[in-house]
Amino acid sequence: MKKVLGLALGILTAIGGFLDIGDLVTNAVVGSRFGLSLAWVVLVGVVGICLFAQMSGKVAAISGRATFEIIRERLGPRAGGANLAASFLINLLTLTAEVGGIALALQLASSVEPRLWIPVAGLAVWLVIWRTRFSIMENVTGLVGLTLIVFAVAVFLLGPDWSTLADQAFHPKVSAQEGQASYWYYAIALFGAAMTPYEVFFFSSGAVEEKWTVKDLSQSRMNVLVGFPLGGVLSVAIAACAAIVFLPKGIEVSSLSQIVLPVALAGGKLALAVVIVGIVAATFGAALETSLSSGYTLAQFMGWSWGKFRRPAHAARFHLSMIICLVIAVGVLMTSVNPVAVTEFSVVFSAVALPLTYLPILVVANDPEYMGERVNGRLTNGFALVYLVIIVVASVAAIPLMIVTGAGS
Amino acid sequence: MILGDLLDAPVSGPSGDRLGYVVDVRFVLDGPLDGLLASPRLHGLLVSPRTGTSFLGYERTGVRSPALLARYYAWRHRGTFLVRWEDVDSVAPGAVRLVDGYRRFSPALHGPV
Amino acid sequence: MSDLPEDRRPAGRVLDARLHLLDRQILDVDGTPVCTVDDLEVHGLDGSDLPGGTQQAVITSLLSGAVLATRIFGGRPPASRWHRIRWTHVSDVGTTLRLGVRSEELDVTWQERWVRDHVIRRIPGGSHDPG
Repeated sequence: MKKVLGLALGILTAIGGFLDIGDLVTNAVVGSRFGLSLAWVVLVGVVGICLFAQMSGKVAAISGRATFEIIRERLGPRAGGANLAASFLINLLTLTAEVGGIALALQLASSVEPRLWIPVAGLAVWLVIWRTRFSIMENVTGLVGLTLIVFAVAVFLLGPDWSTLADQAFHPKVSAQEGQASYWYYAIALFGAAMTPYEVFFFSSGAVEEKWTVKDLSQSRMNVLVGFPLGGVLSVAIAACAAIVFLPKGIEVSSLSQIVLPVALAGGKLALAVVIVGIVAATFGAALETSLSSGYTLAQFMGWSWGKFRRPAHAARFHLSMIICLVIAVGVLMTSVNPVAVTEFSVVFSAVALPLTYLPILVVANDPEYMGERVNGRLTNGFALVYLVIIVVASVAAIPLMIVTGAGS
Repeated sequence: MILGDLLDAPVSGPSGDRLGYVVDVRFVLDGPLDGLLASPRLHGLLVSPRTGTSFLGYERTGVRSPALLARYYAWRHRGTFLVRWEDVDSVAPGAVRLVDGYRRFSPALHGPV
Repeated sequence: MSDLPEDRRPAGRVLDARLHLLDRQILDVDGTPVCTVDDLEVHGLDGSDLPGGTQQAVITSLLSGAVLATRIFGGRPPASRWHRIRWTHVSDVGTTLRLGVRSEELDVTWQERWVRDHVIRRIPGGSHDPG
């Protein structure tokens, strides 16, 4: 059990990164429109995030520096400030979406209107950040979020035509009614969702919260190698469920209740209850991850005292900034904006912010001043440079594609 | 003086010819003892013929990986040289002047800092 | 790397301002983050404000302050906006700068103390370790 709990940071990071409300919807939309023909993008994204999360975890364990501190130190105030502005905005947008997502998931469970749940959700997220120890927070949210495995179970229970699914996945084709632009827009959206910067900020800051040292390097690696691939598998499972149920009928997914329909079809009321619990846990975990990331990035850039391991009185500005973010999120949501629409933008903007985040990690992972003898090997550097190219291409293409396709509509 | 005034200042030779810009300032911890450490003594200026900050320092540290990045940044700041503080004539805000017969040195940093 | 002659071997650690000092995190004696190095104050050993090459010059203080906007966009804030941390207090220089004093005793952390006293301490549970 202890071994499993030791992987909680990686699992929570992955859940918050891959299975937050925006990704749940995007994966289902992709499945209902493209089948599994974009599954390869998830694979590419998972490898990429594993590579960079591993590097940032290693840097945090050996040098004690979290990623955003490194971004300021190595890029300087101008480029670091640009990254802060972009990351902070993305975090805030995503946080708003997540708190809204918690309310939507609770609506599924209770049929009570989301607007009544929103302040409750915001308060609950804040209470956990204020009082709960980091390890308890990650263990509970990570473990409960794992119930989303029910999506993978549902794929089997639905008894699909495996050869059709395999064909979509291994011979990706762009269907006539969708067009190349939409295909690549969603490809970038999925890639951006897999490699969202706040995952690395959270993972490396979490490594410092847990006080990982050189001795914990293998644990760090296990966290990465278990958490993110699991997130990727579940993303594909969600797409597969939508592909099985909605694609043949040409129904486009747009709401949370549609996303859980395949699970209800596969396993009845019990499965539905399990998936709702999982979605509440996953969106709650994502809300925790994004609000903590807002605090981490701002405090680390400004040089403030930070960390949940410190009592709030010893990290005052860190906690105040998270309180303000949560208040803004709740305020925006009370205007009845659709939280899901909010995330679709933030995912694409994540893709744009990627190069500024990952370049410094790569540079520091090679710097003997931080890493001593444990600088990157040639193979890691080779892969990382390839991914930097992919990241730059995705970041350049993201906004034009968003405009051309009207955000994928 | 505030160090920020010195960084990115244009550097000219004794006869007024433009040599480049100050990209960094080198200090050595061998000044008089100040508290627990020695004072950092201003040893020299790092001048690059091109502007654009050398924020990664590849042309000085000798770190060679990742290979493509290191080669690109070292190439971008080729021609960077170190000028000793004794060879600096005056430092007015926005203009550094070197003395007659100033010497250029390699900007390399030796070993782990 | 370069065909220029090598400089003489230095008698102490070498620190390049941009590479090793600017934008680095400053930690106090307990390891609590204090602020970042935004700039450095350099004086001649004879106390002069604007030393030339004929005088030896040393770093006398680390500077930090509400100067982010000027560092990003340019310009210089007046001297009254800087917070000084004298080099005397620095105990170690690595990937971070370590001080020998506690952050409580420094001027630069006044904002942190203000938020702590006027906001955080007023919310129940603010002064306790996370449970």
